[in-house]
Amino acid sequence: MAQFFQQILNGLTLGSIYALIALGYTMVYGILELINFAHGEIYMIGAFLGFILFSYLMPILGLWISLGVLLVLVFIAAMIFTSAYGATMQHVAYRPLRFSNRLNALISALGVSIFLQNFVMVTQGSAEKVFPDILTNEGIILADVNISYVQIIIIATSLVLMLALTLFINRTKLGITMRATAQDMKMATLLGINLDFVISLTFIIGSGLGAAAGVMVMLNYRSINFFIGYLAGLKAFTAAVLGGIGNIPGAMLGGLMLGLIEALGAGYISSEYKDVYAFIILIILLIFRPSGILGENVREKV
Amino acid sequence: MRFFLLAAGVVFALVLCISCGGGGGDTIKIGVAGPMTGDQAKMGNDEVNGATIAVEEWNAKGGVLGKKIELVNGDDRRDPKEAVSVANKLVNEGVVGVIGHFNSSCTIPASTIYNEAKVIQITPASTNPAYTKQGFKGAFRICGTDDQQGRYAADYAVNVLKKSRIAVLHDKTTYGQGLADEFKKGLEGRAEVVAYEGITQGDKDFTAVLTSVKGQNPEVIFFGGIYPEAGLLMQQMRKLGMDAQLISGDGTIDPEYIKIAGNAAEGTLCTYSPSVDKLPSAKNFLDTYIPRFGEPGPYSIYSYDAVGMLLTAIKETGSTDYDKLAARLHEMKYEGAKGTSQFDEKGDLTVAPYIMWVVKGGKFVPCE
Repeated sequence: MAQFFQQILNGLTLGSIYALIALGYTMVYGILELINFAHGEIYMIGAFLGFILFSYLMPILGLWISLGVLLVLVFIAAMIFTSAYGATMQHVAYRPLRFSNRLNALISALGVSIFLQNFVMVTQGSAEKVFPDILTNEGIILADVNISYVQIIIIATSLVLMLALTLFINRTKLGITMRATAQDMKMATLLGINLDFVISLTFIIGSGLGAAAGVMVMLNYRSINFFIGYLAGLKAFTAAVLGGIGNIPGAMLGGLMLGLIEALGAGYISSEYKDVYAFIILIILLIFRPSGILGENVREKV
Repeated sequence: MRFFLLAAGVVFALVLCISCGGGGGDTIKIGVAGPMTGDQAKMGNDEVNGATIAVEEWNAKGGVLGKKIELVNGDDRRDPKEAVSVANKLVNEGVVGVIGHFNSSCTIPASTIYNEAKVIQITPASTNPAYTKQGFKGAFRICGTDDQQGRYAADYAVNVLKKSRIAVLHDKTTYGQGLADEFKKGLEGRAEVVAYEGITQGDKDFTAVLTSVKGQNPEVIFFGGIYPEAGLLMQQMRKLGMDAQLISGDGTIDPEYIKIAGNAAEGTLCTYSPSVDKLPSAKNFLDTYIPRFGEPGPYSIYSYDAVGMLLTAIKETGSTDYDKLAARLHEMKYEGAKGTSQFDEKGDLTVAPYIMWVVKGGKFVPCE
């Protein structure tokens, strides 16, 4: 029984990461109907920026402030810098293609993905970057389940971020503006909404969340390389589709579900096919419910 | 305007073709193949560094057969499909021989290409037995094989550690799974295999499979695979409160493993060949390598000796003919940096002992 709860915990940790990345995919799709293939690379850049910022700031500030405060600073700074990457990416690669064929934007996204992967490979080298083992590996043991502090931080931070996003989207004026733009872009512009601003904001928030995931992955697994965006992006995209692409609670749900499916599948059936379980569930779900778990059906044009 | 662009494009293409029309026949080309980018890049770069030192030493003495030696790199990114591509590319460049590849899953497919094209192949690091069972007379291996390695580890776990509950993990590659299977076979029922699971190379999270293995209470976990995954496994084992002993093979014995596993690395056991640090024959190599490239990886010195053997064969036969070189290499007794190397009729080393190494004080050292 303890093993079951341990696997649930493992799944939730993994799922939180997938959920944060999936939110980026789903928000961009909701507004632009574009699958931002480069979003996985944004997550990877977040991880690298976290690593780089820590390497620079640690010697300078290490004596003045505690490790925890430094990590929070690094976390926020990485999110800000990565959001800048996301906003730039949008401005350079997607904005010029906004009113053209959807396929063009998709190809542009693929191009950005390849560019970012190679950019990081060339500038940072192709070897694994290893974050030093300075965080505690300790944890608490509750009913025979090992809960490490880092795991708690990951799940808690993800929940806080997701809660913040939900409140933002539902309760603030900007959030409502974004939802309106996602619902009907043309009508939104007719009502005087600044399209450029809203779309940039979407990318900024999505990239920030992806970066948060990246930094937490770097802290938890301690080794990153320029290629981690590919697989993580693929799985997070699957999670977003699972929950209903374009739907924000759907992305969160899809991410958590994917993490749980992977952990339980790998733990109880076989670890060899770990990557397969999620895709099997996705296929089965899409056959019976093509719009995903929480997705809405495509609107009829009247 | 369009015509101008078209004309410029044609001229540009022609210039490119002329400049890459092969370097002419005035150098002897040797290929080095392995993962030079990606998560196992360190291993490929170790190979290149070792080979570079060897080539530069020979070139300083005038090269071989009166020509300079040129090293051509091939990056297979530890991907078997890429390895075939690299093999074809190296063959087209006109290499006499290839030092490579690193991963058995790449060396074996590539060997078919080299054999057909009559290019000598000496792998410095691929230990899967299937490579030399193909009967290619120009395929050699300057390292040990997994049937010996797996068996040695199994004997150690049973006789020295005296453990009886063992979990076996592998990374689903030719090398990793091959080694894990040899280990399992070597146990011969003397210990209970409580779990046998595969993980994926490139994956970071193994908490799910480790949690499931933990439920079987293993005393020892044997992992067949390479250092990135090994490091993460060890790290996550400790986080899950598992105090089982980790034993792995020559793919793990790299300082990178210790960095990735962090504090959890202490006490990890790995099989590998005996230490070369104190060998007088290695002194020259180490004195050149360390100031230039830092600490050598486990296979830098193998790569160095492999190049040495190939060039010696070329020099002694006075030719670059495949059959002559293959014959000469089968007869040769080579005194290299890591000691004496001699091939048997299959292309394996006649003598390739394994010993156990342990992580002590943050470094890999041979067990007493």
